[in-house]
Amino acid sequence: MPINSLSKKERLFCAIKREKVDRPPCICPGGMMNMIIEDIMDITKVEWPEAHKDPEMMAKLTMGVCENGGFENFGVPFCMTVEAESMGAIVGLGTKINEPRVIEYPINSVTEWNKLKELDLTKGRTKVVLDAIKILKSESSDIPIIANLVGPVSTASSLMEPVDYYKELRRKPKEAHEFMEFVTENLISFAKAQIQAGADILSISDPSGTGEILGPKLFKEFAAPYLNKIVNAVKEDVPGGTIIHICGKLKSVYGILNSLDSDVISFDSIASVKEVANNVNNKAIMGNVSTLAIEKSSPDIVENLAKGCIKSGVDILSPACGIGPRTKLENIQSMVEVAKESTSKNIVLKSS
Amino acid sequence: MSNVKEKLLKDLAESVVDMEEDDTIEIANDFIESGYDAYEGISNGLAAGMDEAGKLYEEEEYYIPELLMCSDAMYAGMDVLKPHLKYDETEEKYKAVVGVVEGDTHDIGKNLFKIMLETTGFEVYDLGRDVPPGEFINKAKELGAKLIGLSTLMTTTMDNMEIVVNLLKEEGMRDDVVVMVGGGPISQSFADKIGADGYAPEASRAARLAKDLVRGKMNVAV
Repeated sequence: MPINSLSKKERLFCAIKREKVDRPPCICPGGMMNMIIEDIMDITKVEWPEAHKDPEMMAKLTMGVCENGGFENFGVPFCMTVEAESMGAIVGLGTKINEPRVIEYPINSVTEWNKLKELDLTKGRTKVVLDAIKILKSESSDIPIIANLVGPVSTASSLMEPVDYYKELRRKPKEAHEFMEFVTENLISFAKAQIQAGADILSISDPSGTGEILGPKLFKEFAAPYLNKIVNAVKEDVPGGTIIHICGKLKSVYGILNSLDSDVISFDSIASVKEVANNVNNKAIMGNVSTLAIEKSSPDIVENLAKGCIKSGVDILSPACGIGPRTKLENIQSMVEVAKESTSKNIVLKSS
Repeated sequence: MSNVKEKLLKDLAESVVDMEEDDTIEIANDFIESGYDAYEGISNGLAAGMDEAGKLYEEEEYYIPELLMCSDAMYAGMDVLKPHLKYDETEEKYKAVVGVVEGDTHDIGKNLFKIMLETTGFEVYDLGRDVPPGEFINKAKELGAKLIGLSTLMTTTMDNMEIVVNLLKEEGMRDDVVVMVGGGPISQSFADKIGADGYAPEASRAARLAKDLVRGKMNVAV
């Protein structure tokens, strides 16, 4: 297809596969990488926390971002609690400007994993997410729909006290692996259902399972294999590909990042695009405009940061993490404009 | 004689660094049975070990799971030694209030900061996680705290730190309290921007900085 007439969806699909594009897409997947802001809630007249449990509202909010000059994708849900809640965690849905969060853990130790509920796709907010995706699918065929999944370590540490979880990775590795297997199998079923509902791309964020927190040894043992298990389970079914977002410093795990099987690696603003590009040679690179800058600074500063990211070689322009709900829409628009105005001349294409 | 004591202190510190909780308890008991001073066991044994663990963390030899296990060993040793403390031997401690700001329930960073603050001699009141801004102010007022430590791991809740700083100003308490901020998305420039007094990327460094800042403030006040 001619690259000057790419739809948002075609452009993102190409960028993910590291094929030639007219310009980089500018996206924010959803899930942990929140894209919903107060400005959009006011425009669409749909608000948190109600939108977390209503598929129509959920769809309307994410469409509102894209329709008002924001990110070039749809993405649901808007929090990191859907999976854990379905498996037994008690969740508080928050306020208009505070995200949902887990307030009570169902288990006390990795050894108790068999007391957890299987993730239920037929009711609760897992179903809300699936229904929202179906609505989005019926609304537009040109805008990519991103399904979001909380990574295995972050889900596991939303089901029990994280302090105990981290210690038990060392103290009870055998049971910890059994727990991780259980969590991963359930995450796979949710990921597959989201794709079946119409999602084009799967994005996994695992903010509690980073190299910075776990160190290279435990990252390799407890984070990477389960992330890969999910990616490989959906690989055949997901039309657009898979994104893994890793928070925090990457230095200790650069060597392991190449062994992740996702199509795209997305990362924090603390990691430099050039350094990631030098260390990761088998994935499209997505990132990493500082969310603090997007929230706190002016459109021209955001513009400069976004230009810097593209110049440094990102294939996909995106925020470095979830954006704060108090972020101004004009700052997001300015970031998207940078992507729109950049031409293929600016884009460093990989030779592979 | 003092060689035995030195050896026990060194063993205590090492057992903490090596995450050997049972050893720590055993050595702490030996230490007391040998008639040595509990306070010395805590400060030159357990806390010294935790300080070393904190350094290994800064050097990226240890990561969070290791640091948490070291702190378990330290607290297990404390449980043995604390009942033997002679009250007037402990210096007066600065009080600190710590918590994770509203909207966030991730408290690993806050827990590490608390541990390291206790290691450097603070008496810490932990408000837990998902703490509304007003609670920091009320608790600091009630205790006469010299330090407020705010933590978050989420970029979406960072703003709530600024709200706490502004509330302190409104209450006329800003000059009496050192405000430290920390957590994954926090940086020095963010700390400067919201008018916090201090930030450090790691809990152990943050605790040392906290002590310096509080001491500095007290000296100015005196």
